[in-house]
Amino acid sequence: MPEESILTDDFLRELMNVGEVDILIGIATCNDAKTAGDVILAVRAGLLKCFPRQRAVIINADCGSQDGTPDLVRAASISDMRQGPNVHALRTLHCVSTQVPGDPHGGAALHTFLAAADLLRASTCAVFAPDSTAIEPEWVERLVRPVLRDNFDLVTPLYRRHKFDALLVRNLLYPMTRALYGRRLREPYALDFAFSGKLGSYFLGRDLWTEDSVQTGAETLLTTSALGGDFRVAQSFLGERTRGEGSPPDLVSAIRRTAGALFWSLDGNYPAWSNAKESQPVTTIGAEHEISVEPMRVDRTRLYELFVRGVSELIEPVLKPILSPATLAELQRITALPEESLRYSGELWVQTIYEFAASYHKSVISRDHIIQALAPLYRGRAFTFLVENSDATADDIENYVEALCLTFEHMKPSLLQMWAGEK
Amino acid sequence: MWQMIMNELSQATLGVIHNMAEFVPRFVVMLIIILIGWVIAAALRGALRSILRLTKFDKLSEDAGATQLLKKAALPPTSELLSRFVFWIAWFGFVLVGISVLQIVGLEEHVARFFGFLPRLFAAMFVFFFGLLAASFFSRAALLAAVNADLPSPRLISTIIRTLIIIFSVSIGFEELGLGENTVLVAFGIVFGALMLGLALAFGLGGRDLARQYLERRLVHDKKEDKQDELSPL
Amino acid sequence: MQAPQDALWYKDAIIYQVHVKSFYDSNADGIGDFRGLAQRLDYLQDLGVNAVWLMPFFPSPLRDDGYDIADYYSVHPNYGTIDDFKVFLDAAHERGIRVIIEMVLNHTSDQHAWFQESRKTRDNPRRDWYVWSETDTRYKGTRIIFLDTELSNWAWDPVSKEYYWHRFFSHQPDLNYDNPAVREEMWTVMKFWLDMGVDAFRLDAVPYLVEREGTNCENLPETHAIIKELRKKLDANYPGRMLLAEANQWPADLRPYFGDGDEFNAAFHFPLMPRMFMALKLEDRKPVTEILQQTPEIPPNCQWCLFLRNHDELTLEMVTDMERDYMYDEYAKDKGMRLNLGIRRRLAPLLDNDRRRIELMTGMLMSLPGTPIVYYGDEIGMGDNVNLGDRNGVRTPMQWDGGWNGGFSAADPESLYSPLMLNPVYGYQAINVQSQKRFDHSLLFWMKRMIKVRKSQAVFGRGSIEFLYPANHRILAYVRQLDRDAVLVVNNLSSSAQAVELDLRRYKGNILIEMFGRNIFPRIGELPYLLTLGPYQFFWFRLRRI
Repeated sequence: MPEESILTDDFLRELMNVGEVDILIGIATCNDAKTAGDVILAVRAGLLKCFPRQRAVIINADCGSQDGTPDLVRAASISDMRQGPNVHALRTLHCVSTQVPGDPHGGAALHTFLAAADLLRASTCAVFAPDSTAIEPEWVERLVRPVLRDNFDLVTPLYRRHKFDALLVRNLLYPMTRALYGRRLREPYALDFAFSGKLGSYFLGRDLWTEDSVQTGAETLLTTSALGGDFRVAQSFLGERTRGEGSPPDLVSAIRRTAGALFWSLDGNYPAWSNAKESQPVTTIGAEHEISVEPMRVDRTRLYELFVRGVSELIEPVLKPILSPATLAELQRITALPEESLRYSGELWVQTIYEFAASYHKSVISRDHIIQALAPLYRGRAFTFLVENSDATADDIENYVEALCLTFEHMKPSLLQMWAGEK
Repeated sequence: MWQMIMNELSQATLGVIHNMAEFVPRFVVMLIIILIGWVIAAALRGALRSILRLTKFDKLSEDAGATQLLKKAALPPTSELLSRFVFWIAWFGFVLVGISVLQIVGLEEHVARFFGFLPRLFAAMFVFFFGLLAASFFSRAALLAAVNADLPSPRLISTIIRTLIIIFSVSIGFEELGLGENTVLVAFGIVFGALMLGLALAFGLGGRDLARQYLERRLVHDKKEDKQDELSPL
Repeated sequence: MQAPQDALWYKDAIIYQVHVKSFYDSNADGIGDFRGLAQRLDYLQDLGVNAVWLMPFFPSPLRDDGYDIADYYSVHPNYGTIDDFKVFLDAAHERGIRVIIEMVLNHTSDQHAWFQESRKTRDNPRRDWYVWSETDTRYKGTRIIFLDTELSNWAWDPVSKEYYWHRFFSHQPDLNYDNPAVREEMWTVMKFWLDMGVDAFRLDAVPYLVEREGTNCENLPETHAIIKELRKKLDANYPGRMLLAEANQWPADLRPYFGDGDEFNAAFHFPLMPRMFMALKLEDRKPVTEILQQTPEIPPNCQWCLFLRNHDELTLEMVTDMERDYMYDEYAKDKGMRLNLGIRRRLAPLLDNDRRRIELMTGMLMSLPGTPIVYYGDEIGMGDNVNLGDRNGVRTPMQWDGGWNGGFSAADPESLYSPLMLNPVYGYQAINVQSQKRFDHSLLFWMKRMIKVRKSQAVFGRGSIEFLYPANHRILAYVRQLDRDAVLVVNNLSSSAQAVELDLRRYKGNILIEMFGRNIFPRIGELPYLLTLGPYQFFWFRLRRI
């Protein structure tokens, strides 16, 4: 493999055989044989049904699976040598698998997709998660069509979610992205999304691929690049967001991928987000939000304990350099409260987040340590969310999140002052 | 005979005058060197002060925890201390150079030894300073990892890490200075043990999922059930 | 005079399809004729073709361009006399050119004496020569072929007050092949022409000869029995003659028409043709390889006939709805170009007059397994006129030079059977034989060279085909093999340059010799053979082991 190239010789050879395409679909996998097969078949069905005339390719970036995931991918290709029964295709569809280093959520997979899209001059790209077990062929159309036909540069998904799902998105990512970049994109960190070749080439050309943040939060950075640049953004309703069996993602790595990347992006996009005024809605295709409210068993006590313990252990060596004395004092005050009284208010949460962002910008301590320090605080906020919305309806949740968003927006000047060192 | 005594006296006097005539210029040169040295050392101090300010060295020092240590000892900030140190070392060096001009027997050897010692001194200071930095970084990393993994006694783990790394760097520094080599041997034994623990934590940081699962299985058996209730943040 | 004897001559033939009326007018009446055709045989000989397929020249009211025959034993006065035909036939044979004529078995013109008699009374001896019915409900479910003009396969005859069956235009009543007299008469017709020296018949519309209730009235066993009978008689009495089937069917449905080598000698491979055009637009070999994968083996004495264009519309019957929509959108954006589930355009306009694509498609035509048929005028890149009705837009006069009437006729331009092409791109002053003869980089010269190279190797007409499936789907590559001769054909279907690695390990040790320039290419080794091709470029390589 040539030095400093993310494309192996074998992969490059396969790309040569694919040639120019209109649509490139990327799927990153790591031992996902249980779910990836269905995802790929759904994607393929979507391409055949909705875009039968377009030249398409499915690229799989695999971590080195031992369960036959790459073979599943290759078996989905359609050619004059291979076409399953009941599969009628006008064109050849290549399904190519290549190995990338690191974990599937790492930047290497997206980097590979971007590089391939650039080489193949794909006008439209889409990425799908390998564990989207509820995926339907129509998801392909809902994400790809706005880019291919309506010239959007980024299309993020909208899901039907449980009211207690994706609390990090509801409490931090969405409201902060909305407040700072001025656009109400509900899922700034997406695992199923589409983007234009123009945005892809722009992002690929940015000199940031050796940064840690890209390695862990490339998807978030792609979103912030689109929001911070002259790109058209939309969101499209897909359906249920489910994932395969297995434990939910580790919180710290989730925060790294999302908040970490978001904080990092603020440095480079300062002119864009500092000038953004009141947030505007984003073109939405389909339902904007669907929330399910079935009962769910959640261990709130554990969240409370982790929050309290976390704050007490970290307050002196870690939180003190990051937070202002007032915020620190308030945190200490609420951690002293019993479980039934503890409330991590929206205002305090926003203040915390903004101070974290400002400290990240100034690198008061190691940036990765700042991100890690968010984890216990997030737990406190999640605890409060669960308590305050235990009996909430879908509309209640929506109003709650909207109120938090407005708080983020109103307190944005405070972040700007901290950023400039005035506070 | 009187003539002979007078001759000898005048010759001796001439000799002394001759020696003095040889010594005085050297003495003047020595003074000039010391004066120039003072100027250069001052310039070096000023330059280093500016460089350290520009490179935000004080912040690095604060990260390392060195600033806190100096404050406790009522010493000026790190960059100032370092600048002054460099000034005195540089000027002392010029003084020695000046003295060597006097060509006093036996002194030249000590001058050479001083200059030979300087690199080792700087090396030791370098090791110590970066040891402090590493200790601060890794102890904080360990603290955060332990807190987020909900391990018992995260502060203790953090402190142990910090202490071991400081001991390690100090012992390396002393070895560099050629002091207490036996102590180094003993310290190394301690360090080796600490290193193993450090590696175990590094494993936990680098492969934290695996480490976490392993630790959960070994230490926190019942937490596995609770994990199933944990909500997905994304 | 008879043509040289070789029972399987049709496997090596390069067939030139021509309409007598369109080729050359010798008597200045505005219509091409046999004398004119005979005068232009040197041109055909020079081109390199060795067989000519004539469109119907029988007496006819010409409501379907001659496929509505009113007399099987004569020549339409527009084209000359029987003697003129004989002169032409002999002249063709002298030049080593065989002659294939149409034989429309399925139906006649309603002006034919047989039908005129048949319709007179219900008890007429010829009554049963056609298919009559009191109602129009028989043979329900049979598809209508000329969808744009016919609403039913039954037509009401006001004379005999009954319905008669017609699979094509309503003025073309179907003959009744259940009547032995009909079968006998048609054999007599064929003998008439065979005795004169005709080398082969293209039997038009053969799937529809017989009707049966409860079927789709196509490809019935009784039809095959009739063909077998004809073939048997032909082989017994006229060895070395050929029957060519016109049956627009899927390859699997066509296969029975070869029988066990005892029905048709040859048949058109209809489904391949639109897929060649589709593959070119898609820049993907898949449509071509798939249809050929589905094409069954045929008896060793049988042959496929391949073509790019002909006198009819580019038929899209044998494709899926999705494929048809694609073809319409890509090749016939103007709805006026669409007719009867097809596209009525010539080769050059279909390919945007792109010389490279014309060459590529012709190269594929000449190298895929089968006997190639060149439609008159396509060798110089003639255009079409979609404003003329029906399929007449692709049947305009041959363009010989840039002078009076394009050199086709000395008559007044207004009296020509069809207007000439006049526009600056395809008009006769831009596209004609004489100007192309002046330059050896003309399409005509290229076509001559192509035919010459094709004829130099029997492998193209008689060999097997093995597809290579390189990972680059824009490359259509295959090896033709006959005994120890092998030819590698590599086609770039893409509008951009391509690289391809071919797995030729089976042929390791062979040297590739490019057949047009005869230059040597590297020997085949263990590693994949790398080739790079420019847009629409193709290679023919002989494999030689020295």
